[in-house]
Amino acid sequence: MKRGFLGLALTVLAAMGLAQDRTQVLVYGGDFTDLITLDPQVVYEFSGVLIADNLYETLVRFEGNDLSTLRPGLAESWKVDRGKEEWILTFKLRKGSRFSTGREVTAKDVVFSFERALALKGPGSFLFTEIAGLKPGATKALDPYTVEVRIPKTASPQSFLSILTFTIGGVVDSEEVQKNAKGGDYGKDFLSSNSAGSGPYRLVRWDRGSQVLLEANPYARVKPKTPRVILRYIQEPAVLRTALESGEVDIAEGLTPEALKAIAANPRFKVLRAETLRLQYLGMNMKAGSPFAHPKVREAVRYAVNQDELIQGLLQGNALKIQTFIPKGLLGYNPATPYAYDPARARKLLAEAGYPQGLEFELLVSTGICGGGVPCPDVAAKLQADMAKAGLRARIRAIANAELLATYRAQNHQMVLAGWSPDFPDPDGNATPWADYDARSLAWRNSYQDEVAAKLARQAALETDPKKRQALYKVLTERVLHQGPYAVLYQPAQPIALSAKVEGFLKNPMMSSPLWLVEKRP
Amino acid sequence: MAAYVLKRLGYALLVGLGITFITFFVSQVIPIDPAVAALGENAREEQIREFRERYGLDKPLLVQYGLYLQRLFRLDLGRSLRTGRPVAEDLKEFFPATLELALSAFLVALLLGLPAGVWAALRQNRPPDLLVRLLALLLGSTPVFFLAILLLDLLHRRLGLLPGPGRLDPFLLPPPRVTGMVSLDALLAGDWAAFRDALAHLVLPAFVLGSASAALLARMVRAAMLEVLSQDYIRTVWAKGLSERQVVLRHALKNAALPVLTLLGGLLGGLLSGAVLTETIFSWPGLGRYVTQSATSLDFPAVMGVTLLVGVVYSLLNLLVDLLYALLDPRIRYA
Amino acid sequence: MPRLLRRFLRNPGAVLGLALLLVLLLVAALGPALVGDPLEQNIGERLRPPGPAHPLGTDQLGRDVLARVVHGARISLGVGFGVVLLASALGVAVGLLAGGLGGFWDNLLMRLTDVFFAFPSLILAMAIAAALGPNLTNTVLAVALVTWPIYARLVRAQVLALREREFVEAARALGAGQGRILLKHLLPNSLTPVLVQASYEVGSAILTAAGLSFIGFGAQPPTPEWGAMVAETRNYMAEAPWAATAPAVAILLTVLAFNLLGDGLRDALDPRGR
Repeated sequence: MKRGFLGLALTVLAAMGLAQDRTQVLVYGGDFTDLITLDPQVVYEFSGVLIADNLYETLVRFEGNDLSTLRPGLAESWKVDRGKEEWILTFKLRKGSRFSTGREVTAKDVVFSFERALALKGPGSFLFTEIAGLKPGATKALDPYTVEVRIPKTASPQSFLSILTFTIGGVVDSEEVQKNAKGGDYGKDFLSSNSAGSGPYRLVRWDRGSQVLLEANPYARVKPKTPRVILRYIQEPAVLRTALESGEVDIAEGLTPEALKAIAANPRFKVLRAETLRLQYLGMNMKAGSPFAHPKVREAVRYAVNQDELIQGLLQGNALKIQTFIPKGLLGYNPATPYAYDPARARKLLAEAGYPQGLEFELLVSTGICGGGVPCPDVAAKLQADMAKAGLRARIRAIANAELLATYRAQNHQMVLAGWSPDFPDPDGNATPWADYDARSLAWRNSYQDEVAAKLARQAALETDPKKRQALYKVLTERVLHQGPYAVLYQPAQPIALSAKVEGFLKNPMMSSPLWLVEKRP
Repeated sequence: MAAYVLKRLGYALLVGLGITFITFFVSQVIPIDPAVAALGENAREEQIREFRERYGLDKPLLVQYGLYLQRLFRLDLGRSLRTGRPVAEDLKEFFPATLELALSAFLVALLLGLPAGVWAALRQNRPPDLLVRLLALLLGSTPVFFLAILLLDLLHRRLGLLPGPGRLDPFLLPPPRVTGMVSLDALLAGDWAAFRDALAHLVLPAFVLGSASAALLARMVRAAMLEVLSQDYIRTVWAKGLSERQVVLRHALKNAALPVLTLLGGLLGGLLSGAVLTETIFSWPGLGRYVTQSATSLDFPAVMGVTLLVGVVYSLLNLLVDLLYALLDPRIRYA
Repeated sequence: MPRLLRRFLRNPGAVLGLALLLVLLLVAALGPALVGDPLEQNIGERLRPPGPAHPLGTDQLGRDVLARVVHGARISLGVGFGVVLLASALGVAVGLLAGGLGGFWDNLLMRLTDVFFAFPSLILAMAIAAALGPNLTNTVLAVALVTWPIYARLVRAQVLALREREFVEAARALGAGQGRILLKHLLPNSLTPVLVQASYEVGSAILTAAGLSFIGFGAQPPTPEWGAMVAETRNYMAEAPWAATAPAVAILLTVLAFNLLGDGLRDALDPRGR
């Protein structure tokens, strides 16, 4: 009876390939389990953002890997005026953009979408409310093709514009959404698993845990090169690799460094190393009574991390060595790497700090995957072994990410292995959280209270001259490098394996992919 | 009979209540604030407060349990903290995949375990018996997650004999969702290519999941058959010169079926729960993966929902088996 | 007893099981002293195939797989025995009380057992482990909490059968109290099936605990627990199949030993045994 099944399977394999023209379907395999909603104003997870980016358009957008030049999106032009009390941004919409419902995109849809973001208070809404200071009623339709937005003087219009490239600024079809709204939910339920955008694709079907099916939006201004896209959930890296090799997926994200090496050597495939703005780092809690309150202990930790072996050995080179907190790719990146692995020196520093016998502490890590595609517990085990040689004895506790976050936010950790990505592509997306205690983000969590650093961060955020701004960030990054509660480990690249037939695939440092540009050769 | 059914139903309800009690109190031990877990990295204090009020997390435990029962009564299992959807809806979405897998595994267990057990009993202490016993022992001792990894690596990756994980070839259009079981839906849609492909995708995970049950079943059937075969009336039948086939089919199997039957309910129930590991490795979008992810993100409404559902199904299966048993065995009196 | 032992030793499966178990115990007791450090990493030597320096190869962090498997024996056996001790203690107590007290208490305790029986064991264990926080101790607790009812049912059934037997009647006639009868007469005589069950359950507990570790609700890295080792190395099946296979085979052999032992014990104790 087993033979019967095998025989059946063989016939099936032989019959496959007749079903659909494969060049018209792009299959993207990876771990999409973080996908919980596709609502542009609510979505905040990697997978959701990846997909929503292809379903909705924003007023302005970035193109390719260039995160500094704003380009027209739904708005063909825009201007920023200095009002008496506010910044006034005026956007001119282009005519003839259409939603997948066939309706035209007009100013009232933009107003509705922005108000929607404020009302729904999704996890990304702080970008609008706190960074840009956007208030309900501050967005107005002057005529069907003109939108005016007012934000307070304390906010930076440049930051707001770059926030607008993010999915939270995606414009939804207000009529369609209102038609499907239930009990004042602004259509949140509807949009979580349906699309009503003007992007190149529309959502056809989402089989949770299995796959997401996108098809060309028939009314879109931008016609996709591949009319159908399937995002297939495959979490097991070994299985994903086989799926790529057998042609079941065209794009594979989340392979192990070993698999990538083997794939790269095969002419049927290619490997793209997408740059990220992510940093993997160790956070040390400096609160009173903690051994990490002593600067020499933190210094010792930085000497006890073997970055080169971590990056070359464990990550197989899928990361950049970095020790300062502004990632490469943003203004203010500081390439200084003064700390080299030196256990003897670390031991000496520990002794000077009053720990001649070394030190034992708990290292919190997530059970998930760390930047560079390696399980966090593996990274932790590597760090543990290297630090042990310097007398820093870490007890690893691997816990669910949610629990890790809760512990970290409650300042209940001693040392934590964590990742950070800026919420918008600007150095201030890192500087304020990492240096300003009052921002209640990373500096606060690690009890790092440094008025000088905080002041520098604030000053740099509002500085408009790029040269001066860069100089400020140099001072700030140097200071935090030596005095802060962090040991930055690496800036991972996001490796993605592709079939050699796939052309035009791109993933920018904010992890968005314009899938409509991807073409599949036969 | 009616009284017996009622009594069993009453027990099942009582057990169900017990299940809710235990899941609820297990969920209260979680080390972190569910509000923080749900709202994530950038939640503000006021959002957290609002959340706690909305879900009654600020009330005393017993009140929360009462509220929980009240909602259960309306089939409201609460909202998943992770997916933000009603848990009942998530269960509706993920249960069919697990049911499809568990039923297929059950079929595998029956098709392999029953004949193997009968065969072994008939050839007691001879090579077929020894082979079956050895295989049953080995399969019963192999960690299912490794069996999955091994077979995927061998049969799928290295030999390409069977399709890999997932439920359907991505280049095939999935059939419209009716039951949520892809193979059945394909059949209902008359889509033969999809049906065959769905079946082929079921083979490996169903075998992996069903193997331990097949082993158990083979051992049980063998024991039950040996028991029956050693009894006097069977010896009489043998003596009458009936063929082995006739003896087995007409007499022995029927009598060995009863003790085996009692096992089946538990077996199927165990498959539903055991699917956790298999689903993880086969990217199978079922309850097992859902509950693992939920537990990983400490999403207890979801974990409670799954536990409750599987517990109830399990109890119902046992009830069914009991009733069936009573129906088949005239010696049972419904006292 | 000697007859029992003879019967046990005449069964080749049982002898094999016993031998396997003795080897495992020996490995667990002495092995760690003979092999290297299971935590020592050598990133330059990662994923090396078996060879003279590393008889079972190395894993993704360049750790010696043999050293890890050998150290893991202690952990897995500890987990198996720990679970069974806890679960059988709890189960025997409940079964004894239910059978001995009868009436209302019997009803209550048995319904409680039913509830636990109705639980999908792996899912409940996972929920408990997640709630308590994943580590080995909690895994033992979680697995014990979902496996005790089987002992309760066994003991209760035995007690009910024994209660009416002459020696119990005799003790009662001699004026022995309820507690004394329970502990002195019913308990020792109902332990036989518990023993058989327990030897199966050690294996099954090891499997369940390994499964929990596999999905991240058990032993924490870098603990060389077998299930966790398979989980950590499964992504390297293509390049380094030994790293996942070695701990998996270790689990298989251990569980096999206990299953054989259980079979042997059952057959030896059951006079009709085959």
